[in-house]
Amino acid sequence: MGYYVLSYVCMAMFVLASVRLVYRQWTLPLHVRWEIYPVRHETTARVAYGGSYMEEINWWSRKRESSLVNELKYMVPEILFLRGLWKANRGLWLASFPFHFGLYLMIATFGGLTLHAALSLWGAPVSAGGGLLRSLLDGFVVAAGWLGLVLGSLGGLALMTKRLLDREWRDYSSPADFFNLGFVLAFFLSALAAALVVDPWFTGAKGFVCGLLAGGDAPPRTALGALTIVLGSLLVAWIPLTHMSHMFMKYFLYHQVKWDEAPNRRGGRIEAAVRKNLDLKPTWQAAHVRADGCTSWKDIASSTPGETK
Amino acid sequence: MKAARRPSDLAARSERLCHIEPGDMVPLPPPYEDFNRVTLPLLKPERVKGIETSLDDTVAIGIPRPASREEEDLLVRKFLSGLKKLFEKKNNWTFLQPLLLSMEHCARCQTCADACPVYEMSGRQEIYRPIFRSEVLRRIYRKYVKPGGRIAAKWNGDIDLNWTTVARLAELSYRCTLCRRCASVCPIGVDNGLITHEIRKLFSQEMGIAPKELHEKGTVQHLRVGSSTGMNPLAAKDNVEFIQEEMEEIAGFKVEIPWDREGADILLIHNAGEMLAWPENVGAFAILFQAAGLSWTLSSEAVGYDAVNYGLWYDDVQFSRVAVKHADIARRLNVRKIVMGECGHAHKALTVTADRLLTGDLNVPRESAMVTLADIVSSGRLSLNPRRNPFPVTLHDPCNMVRSMGIVEPQRRILRAVAPRFREMTPHGVDNYCCGGGSGFAIMSGYNFADWRNLVSSRRKFLQILDAFADEPPEAPKYVCAPCSNCKGAIRDMIGYYHGEERSGLYYGGLVELIVNAMSDMKKPIIQFDGKSSWES
Repeated sequence: MGYYVLSYVCMAMFVLASVRLVYRQWTLPLHVRWEIYPVRHETTARVAYGGSYMEEINWWSRKRESSLVNELKYMVPEILFLRGLWKANRGLWLASFPFHFGLYLMIATFGGLTLHAALSLWGAPVSAGGGLLRSLLDGFVVAAGWLGLVLGSLGGLALMTKRLLDREWRDYSSPADFFNLGFVLAFFLSALAAALVVDPWFTGAKGFVCGLLAGGDAPPRTALGALTIVLGSLLVAWIPLTHMSHMFMKYFLYHQVKWDEAPNRRGGRIEAAVRKNLDLKPTWQAAHVRADGCTSWKDIASSTPGETK
Repeated sequence: MKAARRPSDLAARSERLCHIEPGDMVPLPPPYEDFNRVTLPLLKPERVKGIETSLDDTVAIGIPRPASREEEDLLVRKFLSGLKKLFEKKNNWTFLQPLLLSMEHCARCQTCADACPVYEMSGRQEIYRPIFRSEVLRRIYRKYVKPGGRIAAKWNGDIDLNWTTVARLAELSYRCTLCRRCASVCPIGVDNGLITHEIRKLFSQEMGIAPKELHEKGTVQHLRVGSSTGMNPLAAKDNVEFIQEEMEEIAGFKVEIPWDREGADILLIHNAGEMLAWPENVGAFAILFQAAGLSWTLSSEAVGYDAVNYGLWYDDVQFSRVAVKHADIARRLNVRKIVMGECGHAHKALTVTADRLLTGDLNVPRESAMVTLADIVSSGRLSLNPRRNPFPVTLHDPCNMVRSMGIVEPQRRILRAVAPRFREMTPHGVDNYCCGGGSGFAIMSGYNFADWRNLVSSRRKFLQILDAFADEPPEAPKYVCAPCSNCKGAIRDMIGYYHGEERSGLYYGGLVELIVNAMSDMKKPIIQFDGKSSWES
């Protein structure tokens, strides 16, 4: 039962920490625009060279066009295949892509295992005497699982080697960075070893995930299986507490900074947020600022500097 | 031989943390090999007496050395107080979210390093690496601001905080042009340029530390006198009167330059530096707007005739003051829109960054002159003869206008119409390289900083320009079109420094001059090469 408790607690920690991270982003004040072009939801003609709606004469009098399709055309290869890294740093891509794709495949494998467990618990033919659905799901779990473990282990080893041996990486890596990467690598290696030695068809994994859904108790039968469950659970809890949360926080870096070019229209939502910000009272101490904690940004912006140098 | 430096070395006291040796920098091709052994001239001891010089071979700010240990400690405490404020809503609502995201999610993958022209051209000096200063700030923030930071310092990456760290970090924030090329290639979206900007802000807004050219002679003078050039409204009008006469000579007809015309469609705001250094740019705008029949005006009110906003580079408060003043002048003149002249950072400052500062009737529509000019050229209202621009032309993309605003194509449409021998640089558009004068560097020349700019930060652009004209004979005049005053200043200086006019026939200028030069009804060419008509080049 202890393994299940650990998994439940770790998953709850993941959810809580992720919600906290996301909530903090949503509640931060609206910042000034700081976009970088190309902004990928621009129209097809403009996104090709990085143009913006500001290239139009009297742009404010025209309807602003944007394209979700163009955004997806960029984001899907970026998320799945690390397109940006492929373009800007091909050498690193060779290590980083298998590592990240391995992680995605682990998530997909867990999804497959969860679906398998749910269907089994509801009495669907997946757990009975066979059928196409069972074959497909079993095949998917085994294929995604193996491919993910191999890619993730190779990518993790390559990244760790680079971090240890490449001076450019080593000098900027803290013990925490080595630990984080080592943690993910340890999970991949233990899971790969478990698959190789004791669970090549992911039968044990299916049993454990089924137990997770049923609240039952089907403890791992081998030490390698137990190690994988412990490492995997702890890793899930650990990711949102570190910079590895960029896996999902990248959304904010792109959509709320790099591609946030929404113009401020009179009477609109953005203007309301700006007015709220202008009421804040800064406390910067340099003499020219003339902030005293009682004067608002709006009043300071309308004043002259407090000193000549 | 370069010394390997780590972020934590910034705190270790030494005479100088980084020194560029002859041969370290990326070599220049013939006929510029003589510059490959050139390094920065030594700082004269009598000029730098009592100021901090321990970072590298140059000085941008010139911070006075504290007189005592107590004074050092006080300044370190002030630095920490400012650092905390960078992470508070009331003090830094302007950039809090982007800063937090960039501080917390860097994977230190070094993809940014190869995108940085300063780092590359310097011969990959470690302290100029884009994440070097970001990592220093991250470590100080984690150790000294975050709860439990000192206990976890060894785990998260340690650094000592003392006066040396603080002084060097201040100087180091002025070794990046804020071109944001690093941010554009970061797979995660981390922006080292933004972190540099925030470091500059901390020093200015909390400690009153900023380069004299940006603050005292920049935004303060702009707000008090009317222009960062020191020109008051009367002087500006006098200069424009002179420009008007010059333009009538060139055009062969009367040229009107209207001032303070209420209810005009357009308030045109130039970088006032144009009136002094490149009057033909101001004049060319007047000729074009008149020929196109536009309703427009200049403002003679203090601040209103100078589009610059140096606050964009180092201080949100000064930035806000200048932006509000620009908008308020346009509001009172009751114009339909503001058109930004050929000044890249002014474009970004008033059109983009100030967009979330200006509310109600201060939110006057703003448009890039590139767009207005492209509309004029494509409308057929001008009689153009592109054969009057027979010389090769290349285009410099100002980072603030292109990468930060997406104004890419209008200037190219114009060039395709008026300059038959136009060719692109490699790379160009949103992938361009900075002129080396970005973020205030073009106007900073105290101590030996101008040499650092020409040798290091402008070096990549110089190589790009040479490459763009590689198929042309050296003696043939060539035109580098830079539709931005600061970029033009940096390009002027690099051409002068490397003797580019004598050795490669390099000339530079704005976009608007090329249009006027191609107008069929001009009596004389507005562009001259070494005093000779450009029409016959």
